[in-house]
Formats: sequence, C-alpha cells, structure tokens
Amino acid sequence: MDPFIKELKETFINSDDLFLHEEEILDVPVFLVGFKTLIDFTKTKVILQKYRETAISSKKSIGELLNEIGEVKEKDVKEAVSFLMTGKLLIVSNNRRKYVVIEPVPKMLNRAIEPPTNENVLQGSLSSFNEDIETNIGLIRKQINASNIRAEALSVGSEQKTKLSMLYFGGQADKKLVEKIRSSIEKNQDREINNLQNLAKALGFSGWSVISKVNTTELPSETVAFLRKGRVALFVDRYPFALILPCFLWDMFTLENDRNYPIPLMASIRLVRIFGILISLLIPALYVALVAVNPEVLRIELALSIAQSREAIPYPALVEILLMLIILELIIEASVRLPSTIGPTITMVGGIILGQAVVEAKLVSTLLIIILAATTIANSTLVGIQNSLAVRLFKYVLVILASIYGILGILGGIVLISAYFASIETFGISYLNLNYAKEGTKYG
Amino acid sequence: MDKSLHVVLMYLLVHLGLIFFLYPNDIISSSDEGQWLPIAIGLLFHFVLVWIYMKGLSFFPKQNIIHIYSEMGRGFAIFFLLPVFMYLMLVNIIGVRAYSEIITIIFLSNTPSWAIIILFLSISGYLAAKGVEVIFRTGILLALIFIPIIFFVSIASFQNVDWHYLFPLIDDDFHFMTTPSYMKSFSAFIGGFLFLGFTAPHLTYDRKKVLIAAALLIPFFVLAVYIPVLTFGQGTASRFMFPYIMTVDSTYINWLMFDRVTMFFILCLVTFIMLHLSLLLWMAYQIMNHWFPHQPFYSVLPFTIVIFITSIMIIDWKTVERLLWWNSFLQFYVLLTIPLSIYFIGRRRKGRT
Repeated sequence: MDPFIKELKETFINSDDLFLHEEEILDVPVFLVGFKTLIDFTKTKVILQKYRETAISSKKSIGELLNEIGEVKEKDVKEAVSFLMTGKLLIVSNNRRKYVVIEPVPKMLNRAIEPPTNENVLQGSLSSFNEDIETNIGLIRKQINASNIRAEALSVGSEQKTKLSMLYFGGQADKKLVEKIRSSIEKNQDREINNLQNLAKALGFSGWSVISKVNTTELPSETVAFLRKGRVALFVDRYPFALILPCFLWDMFTLENDRNYPIPLMASIRLVRIFGILISLLIPALYVALVAVNPEVLRIELALSIAQSREAIPYPALVEILLMLIILELIIEASVRLPSTIGPTITMVGGIILGQAVVEAKLVSTLLIIILAATTIANSTLVGIQNSLAVRLFKYVLVILASIYGILGILGGIVLISAYFASIETFGISYLNLNYAKEGTKYG
Repeated sequence: MDKSLHVVLMYLLVHLGLIFFLYPNDIISSSDEGQWLPIAIGLLFHFVLVWIYMKGLSFFPKQNIIHIYSEMGRGFAIFFLLPVFMYLMLVNIIGVRAYSEIITIIFLSNTPSWAIIILFLSISGYLAAKGVEVIFRTGILLALIFIPIIFFVSIASFQNVDWHYLFPLIDDDFHFMTTPSYMKSFSAFIGGFLFLGFTAPHLTYDRKKVLIAAALLIPFFVLAVYIPVLTFGQGTASRFMFPYIMTVDSTYINWLMFDRVTMFFILCLVTFIMLHLSLLLWMAYQIMNHWFPHQPFYSVLPFTIVIFITSIMIIDWKTVERLLWWNSFLQFYVLLTIPLSIYFIGRRRKGRT
C-alpha cells in the first residue's frame, strides 16, 4: 500500500467513519478518502461518474481529469489531514506523488434558516443566523445588496482550526480599527477559540470586564445596520451570532428594528429601555436605603405604611432583599436550564412562592415583592442578554452600598458605575461613544 | 482632539459642586444688603482670571502648565508647581473633610465621618487612577443623570420667595471686601478652573465655549445667594450654615413621594464634588508624575491614604473653618500667580518669535 495512505490510516486509527474506497478512474486504480459522516458519498460518486463519462467521451487523460475536478496537491500528510477534517474528499493514486482534493457533496449538518431564538422581533425581518459561517455571510449579502461589503476570512488555532470571518463596509469602517482587529487576531494565531472568552483574549481584551466588549446579535438586519454605521462584524464558525465591534453603551437601548416605527414611537420605546436600566439598578437599592438608612426622606405617610408592611419581619432590609433577589436569580437561571416542557412549573412554583407564601409567612414585606417584580421586569427591557446580565450584577453593588451609606451610597454607586462605563475602551474607542458613525476612531 | 463638550460640562459640574454649599453663607454673612455687588465682583474676578488663564494657555498649544513651567527651568517649575501641589492636596483634604461633615450634619447622623471619607476617597481615587479622559467621560454621564434633578430643585426652590427682600439694592460702603467670609467665598469663584491648564495634551477645547459655560453659571451664582435671602430675609439667612440647602428643605412639593428633596439635591452635588476631587487627585498625580514618572495608581493610592489620615485628624467643624480660612490665602496666591505667570510667559515667548 502507498505509504501516504498508510500514514493517513494511522493518523485516524480507530476512526471508523473514515472510508478508503478503491476505485478505478480511467483505468487507474485510486483511493477515495474522506469521512462518511461529513460527505454524502453516494451523491458524490454520481457526480464523479459524470465527470468520468465526459472525460471518456472527450478522451482526456487522468491527469487532465483530476486537474479539472479538484485541486492537485503534493503529498503532505499534515495538510491532507486538515483537508479531511474540513470535509473534503481526497483522491489518492498509488504511484503518483500528488493527490487531488475535491469538494464533495456534504452531509446536511446545518439547521435551516429559522426565526431567531434569543431575540424577538416585532414587525421586522425574521431570518436569523445559524451555525454555518458561510450561510451567515450569505445572509448578510442577501440582506444588503452592496458591493463594498468586505468579508475577510481568517482562521485561528494551532491544533483545531476555527474559521473566523470579518465583515465590514469598505470605505465606511475605519481602516485603523479593521487593521487593529486583524493584527490582534493574527498575533494570537495559536490560541484556540472555543467560546467568546477565548475570542476576547484573542482580541486582546481582559477576561474580567463585566461589560462584554463585543455586542452579539443573531439578526442579519441588525448586523447590517451596524455595518452601515462603520462597525465590524466577526463571525465564528459554529457560533450563530454576529459579534459586533466595537460595542457601545447606547447599544443597550437601541435596536435597528425600532426604526420600523414612527419616530415618536421609536423615541418612547428607547426611553422605556432607559427607564428600564435606571429602575432595575436603583429600585432595590432605594428600598434598602429608604427602609434601613434614610427613612426620613419619605413622606411620613409613606414611611409609616412601609414600616407597617415590614412590621413582623425578623431581619434587616439588606438580608431580606438579598434573600429574595437570590431566589429570583435562581428562578431565572432554572427557567433557562429546564426543558421548555417543564419550564412552566418553575414559573408557577416561583409565582406562588414570591406572590403569596413568603408574604403571608411574614418573611418579607409586600413592598419588597413589588420592587422585585419591577426590577426583574425592568431588567428584561434591555437589549442584549449580556447587557442585562451585567446590569443584574451591578444592582448588587448598589444594594450593598445603599445598605451602608443609604442614598449617598446609591449615588456613589452610580458614580462608580459611570466611571466603570467611562473607563471601558475597545481598540481605543470609548464605550460611551454616541456618534461613532460620524466621528469614527479619529478621536479614539 | 477637540473635546469642548467634555470640558464645558466638567466646568459646569465642578462649579455647581462649589456654589451651593459654603458659598451662599459666605456671601450673605459678608454683606447685609445688595448682595449682587459682591457676587458681581467675584464673577468679574472669575471671568478675568479664566480669560487670562486661557489666553495664556493658548500661546502653548498642546502643552499643559507643567510643560510650560518646566521649559522655563527646574527652579521655575518648583517655584510655581510646588504651591499648586500643596494647594491641590489641601483642597482635597478640606473638601473631603468638609463634605463628609456636611453629610453627617444634614443626614446620615449615625454614620461616622471616616466611613464617608472612605467612600469619597475610594471613588475619586478610582476615577483619578483611571486617568483624565475617564473623569471627563464620567462627567458627561453624571451630567446627563443629575443635571435634570438640579434644575428641577432650583426651580422648586422659588416656592417661598418674597420679592420684597430684594431691596435695598445698593450697599453703599464696600465693607464686605474686608470680611474674612468674602475672602472664603472666592473658593467658589476661582476654585474650579485650574484644571483647564492640565488637560492639554489629552483634551483640547474651544476657549469661547468655556466662557459660555462660565456665563451659564452666572444665574447659579446669583440664585444660590438670592433664593435664601428672598425666602428668609438676610437676617435669618445669615444664621444658617447652608442657607440654600435650608431653603430647599423648606419647600414642599405636593405630588412627590419624597419629603426631603434636599437629600437628592445635595447628593447630586456631592457626586459632582467627587468628580472634582478626582480631578484634583489627578492633577496632583500629574505634577508628581512630571518629577518621578510612574503609573497613576502608585501615587493616587498614597495620596488618598495621606488625605484620609490628615482629614481624620481634623476633629471638628471649627478646624475645618480655620483651614478654609488659611487655604484662602494659598488659593489667592496660586490662582492669581498661575494665570498671570502663564499669560506673561506666553506673551514673552510670542514677542520673541
């Protein structure tokens, strides 16, 4: 047997889905090598057959035929292995120094293009990205018919290659930004990218930033809007999201889909989201501050009624609110974990616990339940799961500060969070940038 | 990098923080009637000094005052910058101590002031260590969040105004010029613009816009004094430690669920003061960094520790007042020499070329 084939076989020892199929093409014995699990072998063979017939009728030599159907490569095991891994079919003949890589009919291993699962769209285009990077880029090209979309293919990883693709509008996106992203990915060639933390490292970000420096969206329509404003979208193969760079605070409140409504409605929807972040940050902290530290700020009537509702509650406001907030976080986390068939159980049980039992048992005050509900609802108005998670965390900073310093603590906390937001920079571009499309990175 | 908006907003915030606490009392107790005269004179100083300062700085594009002085020679730099450094530290110490005291007086009476000082210093230290651009950006966010509240409260404070207290309009002798409290009131008039000379290589700004910001501040300078006077009359108002805050405290808004709007008002101002403190810390770091280059963290941390220890050693409000009085001399020295010297160095340099 050919040493090349032998070596391939040894590399994939115990991989039973590797096939080595002996064939004759134009009377030359060859091996067809590939993975059963990645290649639709029957269909591929039919196509090969067709090529063979036309070659016979036009009297081509085997060399010409192979040149025509694929790429001829020098025998190099390492390269061949990576071709096999990406689902290519190799045609190897015994007595030649070269082999041919052809693009077979692949097994259908992708989802179809479906409506989004993480982001709901009202009155807007519904298709969302899926796991296949090429489908995603195709969706973008379909979404906007523009010749100046650039799609640069990059790949990272030393052992396992991950395909990355960087999309931007030529002429619109800042060249410096594109260059910075490209060079930082190229610098981190040997890093493996399995998740967004890896990607953040590869882009040179700290893994400890609470606010995610990449904005994710699974909607081509949103992505195109970002691209049009001069941002850069990164696609990672097998990750059904576009990663938008740089990311800004304002993205928390805006969706491109808002622009499908008249301007006053758009403005009020966005205002609601701004209220959302303020309420989810401030209300729990205000409760602690007003109940425990500064009750005199409230109207006397209000202060009394709050005091009355807390009459039989055996622990301080901070413990009370932390207890309930943690239960609430557990409910949210549980409803993400559970299969959707059992999910409603959690809502029901949680609803009963929160709604009635806890209050009737005099473990927490009724007011607190209202506040928790308002907080959770307000938190969900923010755009982007990663953002609402960050706000959920910031809320605790404020609650703890409020329990020590009262209202002063809340405002101090706001300064702290504002300072944190202000200190975030992505490739030299501030997180608080409002006018990126106009200014570009020239001030970055 | 033109960041006029950043600088203008910071200018507003820093001054708003200075105007509403000690300044109304200083003015009201310095003159019995016609308070507009001391205010006008103070504002004149403010405008003239800011103009001279910025004019002087405009001779040196992309240079801050540290560069300018060190170009003139080492001795020169020490002669001018050392007092500035001392002034910055002293203002920081007094500021931290005074505002923590104010907060304990007005609310949080159970919290020890060292705890409040820690909060102040940790927040402004964090900001200062992050650098000037972060401070200015934070300023924008805070302005967006808190300026509406300030406006709302300022308008609400007109509730109990009696316009008869406006008279008499003329104070015929200028005896207020000699009172110590008028000297102290200058910390509001001229205590906030020093940072304009430090931002240079990082941020630049349009001089005209800063002057517009200064003009925008005029109503606040006037209101902070006149609203208490118009509400209580000069005699009563002069007995309060914080006349404006007392006035706000006396307002009653029917539909609001909060009884004390003051609290929010004061605390909004306190956040501006935190910002100012961080700016002062950063300026002090800049001066240190010029002599011994290092990371901001390594000087901000010792600064905050020194400030913390010193401000804890100040036992009572009397000492704070005395320090404020001493500081007003240093302040006059620094805030008169710096703008003027910058201006003359600039003129001379221009004449030479």
